[in-house]
Amino acid sequence: MERRSRLQLSRLPDITAMKQQQLPAYQLHFSATMVFSIFFASGVFCLFMGIFLILSAKSIQKVEINYTKTCGNCAKLREDAFNHNKICTCSIPFVLAKSMEGNVFMYYKLYGFYQNLYRYILSRSNSQLLSKDLKAVEDCAPFKVSHKEIPFAPCGAIANSMFNGTTKPPYWPKPIYELDPDDPENNGFLNDDFIVWMRTAAFPTFKKLYRRLHRIHYFIEGLPAGNYSFNITYNFPVTKFQGEKSVVLSTLTWSGGSSLFLGLAYTVTGAMTWLASFAMLAIHFMLKQRKASTSKWQSKALKGQSRK
Amino acid sequence: MSVSEIPHENRQNGGEKRYLKANHEQVSVFFEYPNNTIKTSKYNAFNFLPLNLFEQFQRLANAYFLILLFLQLIPQISSLPWYTTVIPLVVVLSITGVKDAIDDMKRHQNDNQVNNRSVLRLVKGRMEEDKWMNVQVGDIIKLENDQPVTADMLLLSSSEPYSLAYVETADLDGETNLKVKQAITCTSDMKDNLDLLSAFDGEVTCELPNNKLHRFTGILSYKGKDYFLDHDKLLLRGCVIRNTDWCYGLVIYTGPDTKLMQNSGKYTFKQTHVDRLMNILVLWIFLFLIVMCLMLAIGHGIWENKIGYYFQIFLPWENYVSSSFVSSLFIFWSYFIVLNTMVPISLYVSVELIRLGNSYYINWDQKMFYAPKNTPAQARTTTLNEELGQVKYVFSDKTGTLTQNIMIFHKCSINGTLYGDVIDKTGEKVAVSEKDKIDFAYNKLADPKFSFYDKTLVEAVTKGDPWVHLFFLSLSLCHTVMSEEKVEGELVYQAQSPDEGALVTAARNFGFVFRSRTSETITVVEMGETRVYQLLAILDFNNVRKRMSVIVRTPENRVMLFCKGADTIICELLHPACISLCDVTLEHLDDFASEGLRTLMVAYRELDNKFFRTWSVKHGEACLSLDNREKKLSIVYEEVEKDLMLLGATAIEDKLQDGVPETVMTLSKAKIKIWVLTGDKQETAVNIAYSCNIFEDEMDEVFTVKGKDSETVRQELRKARSKMKPDSLLDSDPVNIFLAKKHKALFTMPEEAHALEGDVELELLRVACMCKGVICCRMTPLQKAQVVELVKRYKKVVTLAIGDGANDVSMIKAAHIGVGISGQEGMQAMLNSDFAFSQFYYLQRLILVHGRWSYNRMCKFLSYFFYKNFAFTLVHFWYAFFNGFSAQTVYDNWFITCYNLIYTSLPVLGMSLFDQDVNDTWSLCFPELYEPGQLNLYFNKKEFMKCLIHGIYSSLVLFFIPMGAVYNSERSDGKEISDYQSFSLIVQTSLIWVVTTQIALKITYWTVISHFFIWGSLGIYFCLLFLLYSDGLCQMFPNVFQFPGVARNTLNQPQMWLSIVLIVVLCMLPVIGYQFLKPLFWPVSVDKILKRIHYCMKHPLPPPIRPRRRRPGLRRSAYAFSHQHGFGALITSGKTVKSKALKKNSFPAKK
Repeated sequence: MERRSRLQLSRLPDITAMKQQQLPAYQLHFSATMVFSIFFASGVFCLFMGIFLILSAKSIQKVEINYTKTCGNCAKLREDAFNHNKICTCSIPFVLAKSMEGNVFMYYKLYGFYQNLYRYILSRSNSQLLSKDLKAVEDCAPFKVSHKEIPFAPCGAIANSMFNGTTKPPYWPKPIYELDPDDPENNGFLNDDFIVWMRTAAFPTFKKLYRRLHRIHYFIEGLPAGNYSFNITYNFPVTKFQGEKSVVLSTLTWSGGSSLFLGLAYTVTGAMTWLASFAMLAIHFMLKQRKASTSKWQSKALKGQSRK
Repeated sequence: MSVSEIPHENRQNGGEKRYLKANHEQVSVFFEYPNNTIKTSKYNAFNFLPLNLFEQFQRLANAYFLILLFLQLIPQISSLPWYTTVIPLVVVLSITGVKDAIDDMKRHQNDNQVNNRSVLRLVKGRMEEDKWMNVQVGDIIKLENDQPVTADMLLLSSSEPYSLAYVETADLDGETNLKVKQAITCTSDMKDNLDLLSAFDGEVTCELPNNKLHRFTGILSYKGKDYFLDHDKLLLRGCVIRNTDWCYGLVIYTGPDTKLMQNSGKYTFKQTHVDRLMNILVLWIFLFLIVMCLMLAIGHGIWENKIGYYFQIFLPWENYVSSSFVSSLFIFWSYFIVLNTMVPISLYVSVELIRLGNSYYINWDQKMFYAPKNTPAQARTTTLNEELGQVKYVFSDKTGTLTQNIMIFHKCSINGTLYGDVIDKTGEKVAVSEKDKIDFAYNKLADPKFSFYDKTLVEAVTKGDPWVHLFFLSLSLCHTVMSEEKVEGELVYQAQSPDEGALVTAARNFGFVFRSRTSETITVVEMGETRVYQLLAILDFNNVRKRMSVIVRTPENRVMLFCKGADTIICELLHPACISLCDVTLEHLDDFASEGLRTLMVAYRELDNKFFRTWSVKHGEACLSLDNREKKLSIVYEEVEKDLMLLGATAIEDKLQDGVPETVMTLSKAKIKIWVLTGDKQETAVNIAYSCNIFEDEMDEVFTVKGKDSETVRQELRKARSKMKPDSLLDSDPVNIFLAKKHKALFTMPEEAHALEGDVELELLRVACMCKGVICCRMTPLQKAQVVELVKRYKKVVTLAIGDGANDVSMIKAAHIGVGISGQEGMQAMLNSDFAFSQFYYLQRLILVHGRWSYNRMCKFLSYFFYKNFAFTLVHFWYAFFNGFSAQTVYDNWFITCYNLIYTSLPVLGMSLFDQDVNDTWSLCFPELYEPGQLNLYFNKKEFMKCLIHGIYSSLVLFFIPMGAVYNSERSDGKEISDYQSFSLIVQTSLIWVVTTQIALKITYWTVISHFFIWGSLGIYFCLLFLLYSDGLCQMFPNVFQFPGVARNTLNQPQMWLSIVLIVVLCMLPVIGYQFLKPLFWPVSVDKILKRIHYCMKHPLPPPIRPRRRRPGLRRSAYAFSHQHGFGALITSGKTVKSKALKKNSFPAKK
């Protein structure tokens, strides 16, 4: 009998929690208390984070020297491509009023230089850079091969435009293996400056690490106050497309050279969250009160009716 | 015969007529008639790939992505590598392909099973068993009892007298009563003589295959004579042979030519409202995309002019670019490719998967499984789920849907005594239980399925109460039921209406067994003693008379008239002597009616011989008269049907299906309007409407509209409308609706559909929509569909039609959603339905639970899906302003490829398969929760705009916070962090966090699976990140994987995590705030209920609110008759009366 009844129910669906949609579950529902605690808590968190970040960003010492105008003569010269043989140097003196303590980094900074153009970013050959195949230049348009049909090494627009105080654009005067005459290890595709340049920047204004302060002897504490000057061999034309150039010296904190932005953003967010939570609290209580009064009024009215 | 013998004219006529010759296969081969194979499958192994791909690319979205792919292959504008589109497209196509393949495999299996059934076929003078698919036109086939008919064939001969064959056409048209087919005499003489049958070489010329079920014309030429053939001689494929031992047939149409297959029209593809909305939105997105591309192209032109032209020192223009204008032309298309993810590629396939999953839940639902019939609910269409959550109108059939179409003899009143209630010693009514069932063992001819509980009636019968005996005798005589007794003592009744069957069965069990009938006699076994009554006349039932009578001569040579009919009619015909009895009986009838029982009064009259003889002459004259026959007959009938002596009344329960009143109540609480569309007559329909709560007593008056021509109908409708609301406003007026809620309307459709013509239909719709309950009676299947179409056309709401019979098919097909009840009547309704189950009350679960969940899930899915793609894609737009509008993407190509496919697909699928805001108990407890679906509140164009705005906001945050964080900033080791790859990684990681937290906020029902999917897909993201950015892959394919080491270099940077935290906070808080404030500022009715449910969930469950079943207090008359004409004419003509004795006698022709 039992067997028969089982046969008869041969099409009975499986009784599993999944198929019957009865999986045990936690029902997420935001109650008023939960909402307010989330708001207040994140407000507090953001405010504290913001203040902390602002303070640490303030502790950074930074010097930026924009030499686009200072070296205006050189810039003029470079605007004309026929002058590429002429050497133009430019000296920028500056005063460091306060000593920079700790590690000091030197950056070059470019304004309005579009390293993030689609065709620009694409114009490189990773196979070549990995030394897998030096002739793999198919991605490197428009700098694939020289007019003698010899493949460029390194090929592509990025490599070709490398910002280098000593090379002259648009073509490399020096072969890749002579980039650093002082250190034979730091040459070829492994040259630090070359690697840094090849990591294209996300925005048209960017800075790239150029040198670190070698902390020995006199500089063991950092960069002491005093008079300094940069001697720049001006090679790189940027004024034509409204670009600018500068040199930056900077120290760091725990979070790197964080700018004020994150700190400010956190602070503003925290403040806004607090404001919003107070506003919401007020609305919540106001509505609650009004509801209570209306329902009281309604129940009174109902009572009145029933008495009639 | 060789082919050359085919008459010349028939060869030429091949195109217009069908010509065939029995037992001549060559003819069939010559005309290339198909064999009896049917094929419902679409593909085979070879054509699957091209055909399926072709079909899939006909879809707009797929075609769009194909075009996109070709655009990407043009190097000048290609801004993304080919694989970003190909991989998702291939995945999408293969998922759909696999689904189609599985569906088609099932069809192949079904086809094979049908084609391989075996049948007896006449080959070379012998019957041989063969497969169905081998049957050819011109073959002679033998069918036995209960066998399905193999192909459309001409009935040649049968085992029954007069070569009759009985067929059940349930699968064809849904009618369960048997139909009679008769062979023509020249072939019926062959009987089962195989020699004669093999020698038979009749030639048939008939019409070409068509889909008309009730039409067939042809000519059989045999032995030089022509015989006319019509559809009464044709057995159609899909019928089942019943009550016929064997029959032979000549195959005329085979396989695809059969009327069944010609009728199985192409499935009309039903689109849901969400589908249509989705298409519109995709179009919007497309336009939005083009506008964005234009803006960016213009931006690019300006940039190229001002800066790009000079930047050529470092990046010269391509040689095909001659000016900034040309360049921006290319950029337009490049951005078209970059921003293509605005139109989400996986949208359609995800929607399909979600619907499929939600359909499976319906199949799996154990609470929609009907154990007695072993039938689970079935979602036959897997593309309509969310529409179930938006139903506003339900059109229901009555018989078999609201009612079980089972009539049960429930109570009776005999000579002023009420029988049927079980009363204990204190005089209280007792609920009956199965063990109290009366044992009719003393009566060998009793029907074992019959049940009755009141012992007093049996006692009265056994004691020999003359009134009780007369009562049951009249029930056993006054009817048009036919009996069949295959095995001695096992009677089977064939009744035109189930009511009659119930009454005769009751009489049978109480000892007055109707055993057999001829055209002139009725044999009754009265308390074990066989008596033969002479049948003198049947005064048949019709709608005006509302009664039927028989006049019989008893063995004692008394002439008696027995009459049964509607109480209102019989009361007027009673002899004045039984007025007091009539009053008592009417009281009982009130009781019966209040329980929703169908009642009949039973009366008799003894006629004296002389009176009868004169009447009989008049009757004969009336029968023979040519004009006004009906009228004359009814006058003659009235002469004899008077001065009746009342015997009593019967009460038959038209059993409602389980839980029908409760379901109707729940659905109307969910603001779903239920209209009953029935072919039945007004009284029964109203009675059922009251008993299942569609009409309630509190409602105001009933408007009955039953004009015969369009003018009267219009006037009636106007009157009704002005009564409900004097200055007839449009029904969209809220006041109007409120007033109208109390009314109920009743439409009786006249034979011609006047009410469905032109401007009357609008009037009808207006009135009907103002009423709370609407019943349309006397509907033909076509009219049912017309009413559905009417509502569909003018109201723009989702309609659902539910029915069980073939007469409901048109309505089921017309409605947005068709639900089939797999019940008593054939399979036709179920086969045409989108959802099928076996009990009406599953409808509330289907709509309120599954429909609501599906709708909510789909809406959540859509709004999230659009949002996540906006947030994802619009970042490129902002970035354009910083990269010279050069079509540079923010993200790595692999991220673009995997974003929709891997990183974000599982959580959203999990949400749309498992999420439930409240569980099924609450959904049923508070049907009001259903309302947002009807109003389409959860996803519409406004919600879409919100998604767009939300997406824009998120993309702004996602772009500018990381930008601010890395801009002018350095890593903790002094290197720069503002390089493209690190920035890209920060944005994409933040994006993943943001969309994941957003979905976490959307999910209300956190199951283990949700946790697994959400944390799992975050985990997968980070795992894939390390894999795709690993040195190994990069070493192998340096040009494909261009981000080596970025993950490990950047993920440890504080800027990265600080930005992620800030972004998540900024994206999450406004959403939480909005969710909190929305019900405060813009409350919808549902919010209150949800609040109450959340409150209740923290506290113990209240007892589920059971709707109180109301007892209708008003007396309503519903008499138990089928609305069709009875079998009376057939019986007296003797044609269908099967009796072996008759065979010997000459056939009594009585015309």
